[in-house]
Amino acid sequence: MSKKNDYDPSEIQKRMGMKAKNRISNTVIYVVLVIMSIVWLIPFFCIVFQSFRVESTWMAGYVFPQKWGFDNYINLAKTDFWKWYTNTFIIAVVVAALQTVIVLCMSYTLSRFRFKIRKGLMKFMLVLGLFPGMLTMIILYRVLKDLGMTQANAVPGLILVYIASSGMGYYVSKGFFDTVPKTLDEAARIDGATRAQVLWKIILPMAKPIVIYTILTAFMGPWGDFVFARYISMNTSAGMNVAVGLQSWLSLDQINNRYTMFCAGGVVVAIPVTILFLCLQKYYVEGVTGGAVKG
Amino acid sequence: MKKVLAIVLALVMVFGLAACGNGGGNTTPQNNTADDKPLAGTYKIKVWAAENNQDLTKKQIDDFNKTNDMGIVIEATVEPVSEADAGTNMITDIEAGPDIYWFAQDQFARLVNAGALDKLGTGASKTVAEANDPGVVAAGSINGQLWAYPATSDNGYFMYYDKSVVPEADVKSLEKIIADCEAAKKYFAFEAQTSAWYLASWFFGTGCKSEWEMDNDGKYTGVKDDFNSANGLIAAKGMYKLVSSPFHLSSSKGAEFESGAAVVVTGMWDYDVVQKILGDNMGVAELPSFEVDGKQYHLGSFNGCKLVGVKPQTDPKKGAALHQLAQYLTDYDRQMERFNTLSWGPANLKAQSDDKVKANPGLATLFAQNAYSQPQGQIHGSWWDIGKVIADDVKASGGTEEGLKKALQNYQDKIDALFAMSEEEKNAWTVIGAVAGSNWDKDFEMKKEGENVWKSVDKFDLKAGDEFKCRQGKNWDVSIGNGGDNYKVEADGTYTIVLTLSGDSGTITLEK
Repeated sequence: MSKKNDYDPSEIQKRMGMKAKNRISNTVIYVVLVIMSIVWLIPFFCIVFQSFRVESTWMAGYVFPQKWGFDNYINLAKTDFWKWYTNTFIIAVVVAALQTVIVLCMSYTLSRFRFKIRKGLMKFMLVLGLFPGMLTMIILYRVLKDLGMTQANAVPGLILVYIASSGMGYYVSKGFFDTVPKTLDEAARIDGATRAQVLWKIILPMAKPIVIYTILTAFMGPWGDFVFARYISMNTSAGMNVAVGLQSWLSLDQINNRYTMFCAGGVVVAIPVTILFLCLQKYYVEGVTGGAVKG
Repeated sequence: MKKVLAIVLALVMVFGLAACGNGGGNTTPQNNTADDKPLAGTYKIKVWAAENNQDLTKKQIDDFNKTNDMGIVIEATVEPVSEADAGTNMITDIEAGPDIYWFAQDQFARLVNAGALDKLGTGASKTVAEANDPGVVAAGSINGQLWAYPATSDNGYFMYYDKSVVPEADVKSLEKIIADCEAAKKYFAFEAQTSAWYLASWFFGTGCKSEWEMDNDGKYTGVKDDFNSANGLIAAKGMYKLVSSPFHLSSSKGAEFESGAAVVVTGMWDYDVVQKILGDNMGVAELPSFEVDGKQYHLGSFNGCKLVGVKPQTDPKKGAALHQLAQYLTDYDRQMERFNTLSWGPANLKAQSDDKVKANPGLATLFAQNAYSQPQGQIHGSWWDIGKVIADDVKASGGTEEGLKKALQNYQDKIDALFAMSEEEKNAWTVIGAVAGSNWDKDFEMKKEGENVWKSVDKFDLKAGDEFKCRQGKNWDVSIGNGGDNYKVEADGTYTIVLTLSGDSGTITLEK
């Protein structure tokens, strides 16, 4: 902006107009955002408040408890809740570990190796991925049942279900690996590194956000899953994950005694995921957009 | 499979009778030989019972192990599955399902259809049927044969009200209750718009019926439903009075008393909740009456029950042992124990007349309402969705006679569609009569063999003197025998029945 214009009254007026305009549009945007965040947060706060309500245990028509207390959280220990929680945790951790390894190996292979059916394989997996997973429900159940991995043994069964097709989720990390210059690989290879060493020592350290993104999504899937967990555990408390277990408290004969505990359980379930996200948020954003950034 | 089933049934029958003998004070000393205790053994089983009934069921199974003199030891895992969900869960995978399970009777037909229930032996069936409420027995029977053990008779609904809003003098009249609620700006909660179970109350109140017919295999064959009738119109008029009120709430949750309700129609399962919320102000009453054209109609209701089912077993010994356990779990003492610990209303007649049971205000009201209720027999699964729409249609009608009639017609059309026959079925001929073990109650298929010739698909073992007819469209509008009379078989033999049509009449011949 030239100096002359600063003294030009008409120009100043114009700038003021711009500022006012900006202010109005910002206000509108903020109002919309505030309303949206209130809408998003209300259910969450309702659950938190309900979980501290101790004067009654059924669904009440108000949000703020009349008497506050930790009874609901303490009472969780008297039920199978921690068993379900442990089940879910084991499943999620094992799946997160195995699935991450599989996905990264898959992506690396598809990104760096050139073999005959590479293109065909990728297309095949793309088409396969278009079918909804629910289609396989019944046959999966039969297979797992024959393997003895349903009901009380649902935990290994569910792990198998979650990691079975995980190789097909290679898109984001392959996209990221493609952006890492091939010359790096070649330099390492000339220095005598094996293919595996290239992956572990050269590529992965550069792909931290992608690794973390993969771990996070692999952990979140089983952590919140309901459908598969529900029918593979088939009403056997010992094999339930936390979502299925909590849902069983909502039946007509239990809800009057368990509703506030249900809310407490919901809060406890949210804790590890929240912590995980808070710690890894930075990488997560990088990871989601990682495939699009030139390295 | 049939053989196994036959053995199971035979065993159940024998031991069912044996159990009666023992129960009747038979104290002959027992020898410990294997022949005397053919059921002795340890059985690992799985049981589904509602969460609040879980501990009691475990205790009762332990008691059974201690007291039974048949040498049966049951090692049971009891999983918490609500009676309302048991049917759906069971049908998902019967093999993986429990050996003994509690279920609400509305799932009965589906469970029989799916082969998830093992019927009682004739002896046991008779004893159990005599000891329990006929309504509950009907809910667990098909054509007089029990398929599950009656356990409770408390799945019905009545009215809870807030005495500070609705004076006791008003509880008999729907109009007065609505006026009280509107005056106090409090809600009248009656789940008419989302549940056919509650909605049927109005129609039962004016004497309408919806009775479903089923064949011996548990398949629905027809319905006698007169909701779309003059009486049904009265019911719709009464219903309009409530659903058109701004203070009507379509809900059946006891906790609504905390959010502005003064009346809630629900069942025993909400008793504790309502009592905690209302305290001394809690009132319970039969459903009220409504007035149409100067006449009073007492609202009806469904009375339902819980049953205990036994899954068919491949090991007949285990099957028989399970039946012993199921019978034990549902006998007089166990039902009383359940009443004492869980306040579950017994199905056992002796228990129902117990003074303590009668003194429970909720159950007493429920049993009083039962005088106006229909036992919830076997009802087609689609009915629940078809029925619940009536209240919405009634509300939208604006209360005009035409609108109400349209609402009922809409309902009727959907019911009719359930059993609509295709053109082909309407024209098809069948054999019916005292043949092949049936007695004029089953249609045997015939196949079109030529322009005017129909032949029975099966061959029949016929005796001289057996009578039958052929009919079209499985009804009696068009039927042919020996002219208009029944066709009489002249000589014993195995025959294919052949019908040759000529215009409106036809002749029957038998082919060896």
